[in-house]
Amino acid sequence: MDISVSDNNGIQVVAITGEVDLSTSPQVRDALLKELATGHGVIVDLSGVAYIDSSGVASLVEAFQTAKSKGQGFALAQVSETPMRVLKLARLDQVFVIYDSIDDALSGLA
Amino acid sequence: MNEQLELLIEMGRHYAETQDIEVTMSRALERITELMGVDGGALFVLEGGEEDGNLVCHASHGPIDIRGLTIPAGTGIVGRSVAANKSEVVWDAQNDPSFNKDLEKDLDFTTRSILCAPMSVKDERLGAIEVVNKSSGDGLFDDEDLQLLEALAASAALAISNARMAAEVADKEVMRRELERAGEIQRGLLPEPGDDDSIIAGVNHPARVVSGDFYDFFTLYDGRIVFTLADVSGKGMNAALLMAKSASLFRCLGKEDMRPGRLLQRINAEVCETAMRGMFVTMVAGIYDPKSGRLVIANAGHEPPLFHTPEGEFVAMEASAPPVGIPPELTGGGPVAEDVINLRGGSLYIFTDGATEGYIAEGVELGADGFQAMIEDGLKNGQSGQARITAVAERLSRAGTALRDDVTVLVIDDAKPLQERQKQADYDPDPKPQRELPRMDGPIEGQLCTLSVPARAASLKLIRQAIGDTANTCGFNKEECQDLVLAVDEACQNVVRHAYNGREDGDMDVEIRCEGSDFVVLIRDFAPAVDVEKIKPRDLDDVRPGGLGVHFIREVMDDVEHMPPPDGQGNLLRLKKAM
Repeated sequence: MDISVSDNNGIQVVAITGEVDLSTSPQVRDALLKELATGHGVIVDLSGVAYIDSSGVASLVEAFQTAKSKGQGFALAQVSETPMRVLKLARLDQVFVIYDSIDDALSGLA
Repeated sequence: MNEQLELLIEMGRHYAETQDIEVTMSRALERITELMGVDGGALFVLEGGEEDGNLVCHASHGPIDIRGLTIPAGTGIVGRSVAANKSEVVWDAQNDPSFNKDLEKDLDFTTRSILCAPMSVKDERLGAIEVVNKSSGDGLFDDEDLQLLEALAASAALAISNARMAAEVADKEVMRRELERAGEIQRGLLPEPGDDDSIIAGVNHPARVVSGDFYDFFTLYDGRIVFTLADVSGKGMNAALLMAKSASLFRCLGKEDMRPGRLLQRINAEVCETAMRGMFVTMVAGIYDPKSGRLVIANAGHEPPLFHTPEGEFVAMEASAPPVGIPPELTGGGPVAEDVINLRGGSLYIFTDGATEGYIAEGVELGADGFQAMIEDGLKNGQSGQARITAVAERLSRAGTALRDDVTVLVIDDAKPLQERQKQADYDPDPKPQRELPRMDGPIEGQLCTLSVPARAASLKLIRQAIGDTANTCGFNKEECQDLVLAVDEACQNVVRHAYNGREDGDMDVEIRCEGSDFVVLIRDFAPAVDVEKIKPRDLDDVRPGGLGVHFIREVMDDVEHMPPPDGQGNLLRLKKAM
């Protein structure tokens, strides 16, 4: 699994690729909380995620709650088919703010 | 004559106390030399035949210890006396051609006169007692001495003969007890016979203490019953030992191979590896599912089992392979062909020929017709399966003559399971054969894949790969495969995180199975038992991290069950999804 971060006028776009499971989700959690601590908001690019389990979803939920409590923006973007299926199973597709593209997300969070 | 009686009584008592015939003989000889007032004496026992055997000195008293001295029967003064069964006085030993002078040549002792009396009981020659040099008087033996030694030798012979018989009886008693213990162990190899409520029940009446027949059955975690009945050729201890071996093989291999035909093939391979020459086992093995009535059976050279259909017909299920114990090279090997039937509320009888060929009266066999008639009568009278077969075994045992052969019968009675099935909403009175799985060479059943991995996060990727590939091979579509991967991953995560509590030195086994039309995953760990009550899916409206795993598992799988682990250790989770 890889995580790359790019800054877009204070909004951090965190792109995750590969498999997010019990062994890699702590890195996702740490990365998201770190970006929330420094930036104005976070967009998580899930286009490269081949697999995500409950611990990965939990990392997203935790980051989402942290952002909310601080009044920061938090959105998911370009959610590929596999993670979307898992979010739907968890009924979280209606809870997260989800955009089809990074651009949409950036304008949404601006 | 008093001396004679006293010696007999003393030897008898002495042997009873010591149980050692050598010591008793030595003691007897000592008493005889005392009574006779002689310089020395020796007791010879005939070992082997009268003509080609030897006379061996077992007791010796006096200046020369000649114990162990062995002379061919018929030679020497002793041999002469034994051969003629006649006592003898030798006045001048030194000039007797049969006397062996070598024995005393280095000693300050000269044998002058010898008295020798044979020991025999009825016509059986046991040996002889010899005394040398009368201490008193002129040192020469007279007729009175001869009569006294004859009388004492007769007593000694009787005592030795009694002791030998007692030893034989004791040996036989030991053998009998050993045999009984072997019989007990054998009975311990059989399962509980079952009762009126049992779906499966067996009966075994051995003709002798040990039996060459056996039956066995056990229930799998999913309720299916694996069973066998077998008859080992012969009836003695060798048959009993081969029975124990075959029964153990069935127990071990039967738990890992759900295909009766392949199970018999594997048992045959093992038995043949350490072949007992000329011995074989006729054997039936099968698996029965009370939830559907479906029964798969394989028959290696055994008497055809009888399926008593719900319509009241008896259908014989012929053997399709030679007995176990015939080397696979001779038969071409391969699994034994299987028959699949649905019992539909009927019952199946598997029995040894002791049941049909047993006598119900002097010279009158019960026969196949008699057997079937007893089953029909039992059924008419509302007897349970167990009661029906017990009646057959008891009728044969009651016939007044000893059993001709071991009587062993096993019954699988589908009547009660059928009633249970009929209560189910989705009961199908005419079950169709299960569909064959796509993308596999022929139908598959049982274990598809097992993984034993360390219980840690890094193992999960490997497990996901195995589940994904296996599910794909079994014909699940892409989304179903993804769901299965997620559910199994979540279950394994729980083992790592909760059962082992983050410890990384535990093990975990994942077994993927195909059972009928179900895809089944068994996840086994060896951690302390978890409290199943505490495992609950979370409320989804409460958005928070964690607790989603159990929800995923239940959402994806058709059935999630915490099973008792096979040997009581650890945890076993069974996940099922219909294909």
